[in-house]
Amino acid sequence: MAHAKPLATLRSATGIPTGRLAVWWVLASEVVIFGGLLGVYLMHRIGHPEWADAAAHTQTWIGALNTFVLLTSSFTAVLAHQAAEKGNGKEAAKFLCFTILGAMTFLVVKSFEWYNEISHGYTITANTFWSFYYTAAGLHALHVIAGAIIMGVVAFDAFRGRELHRVELIGIYWHFVDVVWIFLFPLLYIAK
Amino acid sequence: MADTVVDVHQHEHAGHDGHHDPHWIVKYLWSTDHKIIAMQYLFTGMFMGIIGAYMAYVFRMQLAFPGISVPGFGQVSPGEYNSLITNHGSIMIFWVAMPVLIAAFGNYLIPLMIGADDMVFPRINRLSYQIFLVSAIILLASLFVEGGGFGGAWTSYPPLSAEGDYNQTNLGSSLWLLAVALEFVAFLLGGINFITTLMNSRAPGMKAYDIPMVLWMIVIASILFMLSVGPLIAGAVMLFFDQTINTGFYDPTRGGDPILWQHLFWFFGHPEVYVVLLPAIGITVDVIATFARKKIFGYKLVLYTAVATGVLSFFVWAHHQFIAGIDPRMANVFTITTLLISVPIAELLFVMIATLYGGSIRLTTPMLWALAFIAEFLIGGVTGIFLGASGADIYFHDTYFVLAHFHYTFFPIAIIGTFCGFTYWFPKMFGRMMNDTLGKIHFWGTIIPFNFIFIPLFVLGMGGQHRRIYNFQHFPELAGPEMYSLRQIATISLLIMLAFQAVFFFNMFWSWFKGEKAGKNPWKANTLEWTTESPPGHGNWPPDQMPVVYRGPYEYGHPDREEDYWPQHLPS
Amino acid sequence: MSENNEHEHSNDDGHGHDGGHHVNYFKIYVVLVVLFLISVAGPEVGEMTGLRWITLITAFGIAVVKANLVIQNFMHLRWEKNLMKWVLATSLILMFLMVAGISPDVMNHEGNNWENVAAKAAVERGVDGEAEEETMVVAAPVGFTPQGAFQTVCATCHGTAGDGNGPAGAALDPPPANFTDAAFWADRDKQRIMTVIQDGAAAVGGSSLMAPFGALYTDEQVSELADYVISFAPDGAAPGGE
Repeated sequence: MAHAKPLATLRSATGIPTGRLAVWWVLASEVVIFGGLLGVYLMHRIGHPEWADAAAHTQTWIGALNTFVLLTSSFTAVLAHQAAEKGNGKEAAKFLCFTILGAMTFLVVKSFEWYNEISHGYTITANTFWSFYYTAAGLHALHVIAGAIIMGVVAFDAFRGRELHRVELIGIYWHFVDVVWIFLFPLLYIAK
Repeated sequence: MADTVVDVHQHEHAGHDGHHDPHWIVKYLWSTDHKIIAMQYLFTGMFMGIIGAYMAYVFRMQLAFPGISVPGFGQVSPGEYNSLITNHGSIMIFWVAMPVLIAAFGNYLIPLMIGADDMVFPRINRLSYQIFLVSAIILLASLFVEGGGFGGAWTSYPPLSAEGDYNQTNLGSSLWLLAVALEFVAFLLGGINFITTLMNSRAPGMKAYDIPMVLWMIVIASILFMLSVGPLIAGAVMLFFDQTINTGFYDPTRGGDPILWQHLFWFFGHPEVYVVLLPAIGITVDVIATFARKKIFGYKLVLYTAVATGVLSFFVWAHHQFIAGIDPRMANVFTITTLLISVPIAELLFVMIATLYGGSIRLTTPMLWALAFIAEFLIGGVTGIFLGASGADIYFHDTYFVLAHFHYTFFPIAIIGTFCGFTYWFPKMFGRMMNDTLGKIHFWGTIIPFNFIFIPLFVLGMGGQHRRIYNFQHFPELAGPEMYSLRQIATISLLIMLAFQAVFFFNMFWSWFKGEKAGKNPWKANTLEWTTESPPGHGNWPPDQMPVVYRGPYEYGHPDREEDYWPQHLPS
Repeated sequence: MSENNEHEHSNDDGHGHDGGHHVNYFKIYVVLVVLFLISVAGPEVGEMTGLRWITLITAFGIAVVKANLVIQNFMHLRWEKNLMKWVLATSLILMFLMVAGISPDVMNHEGNNWENVAAKAAVERGVDGEAEEETMVVAAPVGFTPQGAFQTVCATCHGTAGDGNGPAGAALDPPPANFTDAAFWADRDKQRIMTVIQDGAAAVGGSSLMAPFGALYTDEQVSELADYVISFAPDGAAPGGE
């Protein structure tokens, strides 16, 4: 069903376009979700120095690979935004597809890593470090999946030159997902 | 279920907006119109309210007349009793106060009061209601699964909530948690919509200080909700894992910590009190200004006070945990912040009273509700001082004093605030006036029994009556005849109060179809929603007549004007 | 919150940005990758030199720098209105507040009148996942005793002595059964008592006031409860076994 935008959506009393304003608020609510989880993890981690033994079993090089993949996908997302700003929908769609590819790579690497860990007996119930590990990374992975799906829709529209402003919006969200991983990486992998 | 109600009534107005006529299911169940979504929230909330009230009736009967076979329910077993009190609390806060005060009034009023044609994201708005409806259905379903509904209180403290061995309701507690989580998602979506709409879509000329107070309050409440609920969402995921796949986040023997849940819950739970309080205060302020025919006493004062309340509300959460073994130094800090937060709240009540002073007051039904809000909420607030002081709380903790205290705050918020707003905006919503005499009968029939329910409970709480007790006869020191007579007074008052709600429903349905036609502006109020038809058609105003704003919302009794009101949209 | 209303909109019309930002995204990407390599190398250096703080600085210090670069340049927060910077800063500050408020209770293993013995023991052992699994203390479920169950559930009506004089029973019609009455036991056996507990008295043609309690107990527990009820019977009147 075709959906006419209401007048309300087109107004901008703050000077920030409505879509971007909403994305910032979404991110503010995401900051407290991830902030809450990571804050809680940090408290437990400091209170339990023995978790270092469990953390030693995480595979730093896989985490590092994934960090690199997400950084690169963030880079292509911002290139897509640049293209969209110039009105080049096809170029924007191309870069968004690269970003989706990055998301897929991230997920494939992640599932390989989890498969490996679970087969070694480090399941989510093995100990509370692993519970946090899977919960935090899982919540993040859900955001990656959601972002990839939405990006597919945006790229589809952008390819036809429609709704180009959405390229920036999904980009902002995607960078946030990257930023969360930037903090998850040292918390779960590097600090042993 | 509630939808059927909505359909029936909306069909009545099918002729009003004649441009296109899709199938009525598309039009009323799949609509993106903010007014219809508001009605969906309102009637779902009312329906859930009836269920919550029914639960209160059942367990009050059990408490006053233990072992009785409650008419309409049968004998209450201990497990059922726990499930009833848990779900009464959850329903009244998450499925009645939030959807009605924030979602229904927010959806209805925000676009109308800022002169916009809809919310900025109509489809997200619809999605928000649909998720909310699903959460309500899951919650109701959880009452009928094997083992019964969750019985670990609405605060859901682990290990009782986390261990199936303890709570005996494996499935019920998981479904309860799922329903609450979905409800949070619905309100996050709705809240982002409210905030963005108010920030960006105001009519030309409407500056920050021209926004009606009720909208500010709803939006501040949405922001509070959004910023406080995050850690609890993370915590709920952890609890859900504890329940279903046996992780140990809240199990100290496995490196977790049960007190963590209490912190995460109340980090959300206390701001939540202000999330529902602020919209009720906003409604009351607007109604008082209209019926006192006076500018509110200090617009900016109210606004900044509300913001201050919001900020402070993040600093008080641990006063719920004074005897849970928290660090005593923290208890001191939280006592101070808790007592501090009574200052802005008192200020808001003073502003209302100062607005009344010297006004030409009209005692209509909405005005009576607004005045009752001041009186009743005052009692709720003052009794909170006792509980906020960590020393006194050691005695009062988990007694009926606490229970009476928060019912004296939540009842004015959720019930009085709702009736105040509903009776005030009814003419706009349905195009007809409510019957004033019936409205007043309903008002007195609600307010008087309300006090007779909860004042005895204050007394019982002072007498040491503990909460969460199924049958007081097992405790000889609580089973004396004078205590039982107080309990019976409370229960009988509840029955009287519930009976009087029939007057309200009769009045509502009768006025809906047979009431006197309201016209555009029956209350002679200033705000923009009164400049369009009642009920407003699709798009709220004809596209070429979108309002423009020239002044603040409370210009009553201006000396240069012949009439005593000066609508926002009139050029000077 | 919306004080910016008075601002001129001309700068921000349409797409929101006033032209291109002249940021070299590629340069920033290269900086990010270099920082990332340093953060991966950090632990190695830390191990070689034995200085743990190097790891912490390279890990978390660089994370903050990287996040800042991404947020400022890729998310364009640098060019955003101050309002949104404040919103995001507020949500972040709230998280610090939350941690500050919670950590005295959760990070420590003892506090006001309590001690997290299990956590302390775990820290002392320095156990890893598998070892902890073995030493895990399995908490006993809440104990069921027939006496306890009778006193909390049945005694409301049937009285603590089983004589039918429970406080809630006084108002009931027919009155609750008196288990100390020999006549009561004349035509009852254990099976019937169990059925009544599980399915209510209505199931055997009795009063519906005796509600079913089967959902509360297992069959075994009901059997124990029935034995306890029979123990109220006067000498000689008690029915035999099943």
